[in-house]
Amino acid sequence: MIRFEKVTKTYPGTGQPALDQVSIDVEKGEFVFLVGQSGSGKSTALRLVLRETRPTTGRVYVAGKEIDRLAGWKVPQLRRQIGTVFQDFRLLTTKTVGENVAFAMQVTGHSKGEITDRVPQVLDLVGLDDKADRMPDELSGGEQQRVAMARAVVNRPQILVADEPTGNLDPQTSDGIMALLERINGTGTTVLMATHDVTIVDRMRKRVIELEDGRVVRDQAEGAYDSSS
Amino acid sequence: MQLRYVFTELGQSLRRNVSMHLAVILTLFVSLTLVGLGVLLNEQAEKTEQQFGSALEITVFLCRDDDSNNACTGAATDAQKDAILTVLEDSPEVESVRFESQAEAFDRAEDMLGPEQFEGPDAIITEKDMAESYWVTLTDPREADVVTEQVQGLDGVSYVQDLHEITGPLLASIDELTWFSIGVAVFLVIAALLLVGNTVRLAAFARRKEIGIMRLVGASTAYIALPFLLEALVTAVLGVLLAIGALAVFLEFEVIGRLSDRVDFLPWVDWSDFGSVVLIVAVVGPIITVLPTLLLTRKYLKV
Ligand SMILES: Nc1ncnc2c1ncn2[C@@H]1O[C@H](COP(=O)(O)OP(=O)(O)OP(=O)(O)O)[C@@H](O)[C@H]1O
Ligand SMILES: [Mg+2]
Repeated sequence: MIRFEKVTKTYPGTGQPALDQVSIDVEKGEFVFLVGQSGSGKSTALRLVLRETRPTTGRVYVAGKEIDRLAGWKVPQLRRQIGTVFQDFRLLTTKTVGENVAFAMQVTGHSKGEITDRVPQVLDLVGLDDKADRMPDELSGGEQQRVAMARAVVNRPQILVADEPTGNLDPQTSDGIMALLERINGTGTTVLMATHDVTIVDRMRKRVIELEDGRVVRDQAEGAYDSSS
Repeated sequence: MQLRYVFTELGQSLRRNVSMHLAVILTLFVSLTLVGLGVLLNEQAEKTEQQFGSALEITVFLCRDDDSNNACTGAATDAQKDAILTVLEDSPEVESVRFESQAEAFDRAEDMLGPEQFEGPDAIITEKDMAESYWVTLTDPREADVVTEQVQGLDGVSYVQDLHEITGPLLASIDELTWFSIGVAVFLVIAALLLVGNTVRLAAFARRKEIGIMRLVGASTAYIALPFLLEALVTAVLGVLLAIGALAVFLEFEVIGRLSDRVDFLPWVDWSDFGSVVLIVAVVGPIITVLPTLLLTRKYLKV
C-alpha cells in the first residue's frame, strides 16, 4: 500500500538529507508507528506519502502509484485516498462540526444526498453525533481531534496518515483517540502514524519504524518505542 | 460538482474585500473607458481621412465642361491628362498617383453625404457635375507646395486642393489624443493588474486555511481556483459595464448630440462604430483580471 525504495530527500539549501536511503514497505490494513527524535524525518516521510513534497532520489509508491511520476492534476485523486490528521487539528473555526466534516465531501464533488447520509455516520463513529451543530472552539482538544478524524475518514480513504495526532492532548484523551484509530484500522484502513508518545507506542504493540537522522534504524513488528523495552 | 461552496465563497470574498474590489473595478472602469476612447478616436481619424484624404495627399481636379475656372477651355483632353500625369509621376516628391473618374467621385460623394441629393430624375447633383481628379500621395506632406506649383497652371488643371493644411493639424490632434488616451490607459492597466494581483494575494491569504484543507482532502486545483476566477470575472464585468456605459453616454450626448451639430463638415463616429469599441473593451477587461488571477492562483494554489 505504501512503499519507499531507497528514498532520499534533501531539502533545497540544506546539506544533511532529511531522509537518507529509506526503504519501507507497508501492507494494506497495517498499523505502523513512525518514531524518532525531533528532526529525524518523520513528517518528511508523511509529506512524501501525501506528495506534498517529492523524493530527491528513490521511489515512493502509494496505492500502487509512483508519486513522483504522477501528473499534477492527478494528485487530488491520490489525496482523496488518504485521510490526514495533524497535531493542530486544522479545523475551520467559522464552520460547525458538521460543516467541517461535510466540507471535505463538498469540495471533492459529492452530492448533497451523499453528504447528509454520510456525515452523521462518521460523527457517530467518532462519538460526536450530538455535537454536529457546535462550533470547534466550543469543544475540548480531544473532541476537536475527533472532528478532524471524522473529516479524515468521511471519504472512506484507504490510508490514514496521522502526524502526532495526540501531541496536544493529555494521556486519557490520547487513549480515546488511539482507540478510535484502532477502530478505523479495524475496518481495513492502513494507518501510518508519526509520534513521540512512548506510552502509546509501548502499550499498542504495533509495528514500529524508528528513524534516526533520516535513516531507518529499526523496523519491528509488535515493537515498543525503544528498542531496549 | 458541488458549486454551493464556490458561490458562498465568492459572495463572502466579494464582501470581505469590498474596498479592494472597488479599487479594481474603478481602475478598470477608467482604463477601459480610455481604451474605448482610443478606439473611437482611431475610427474618427479614419473617417476624417476617408473624407478629406490623408495628410499625405493632395488632389488635382481636372477641368470639366463649363468649369468655373476660366482658364479651362472645356473638359480636360486625354493628351492633357497624360501630360499632367507625367509631371506628377516624374516629381520626386510624389510617391503615387491615383486617378478618380467622374463616376467614382459621384459614388464617393453619395456614400458620404447620403443618397437624397443624388438619386432620382431631378437630383441636384449628377455625375456630370463631378470633376475627374488625380489623388497624389506625397513622400512628405511638407512638399505639398512644391507639387502644387508644378501642376497648377498646366492645361486641363482646374484647381489643386491641398487639404493637408486643414486636415493635417486635425488628424495630428486626433492622433495625439488617441496616443494620449492609450498611453494613460496603459498606466492604468498596469495599476489594475497590480491591484488584481494584490486582491488575489489577500484573498488567498484570508482563505489559506480552507485552501490548505481543500488540497489535503483532494479538491481539484480548478475547484480551488474557481472562486478566484469568478471573482476576477465579476469585477471585470462590472468594470466593463461601467466603461461601456460611460462611452455610450459620451457618444450619444457629446459626439452625436453636440459635436456633430456644431462641426458638421466632419463625418463623426456614431453608433455603427460602437460595436468594435464594445468588443475590444469586453475582451480587454476580463483579460486584465483573469490573466493575473490565473498566474497567481497557479503560484499560490499549487498542489
Ligand atoms: N520545508 C523544509 N525545508 C527545509 N528543511 C526542512 C523542511 N522541513 C523539514 N526540514 C528539515 O528536515 C529534517 C527532518 O524534518 P521533519 O519535520 O521531517 O522531522 P520530524 O521527525 O517530523 O520532527 P518533529 O518530531 O520535530 O516533528 C529536519 O532537519 C528539518 O529541519
Ligand atoms: Mg514532524
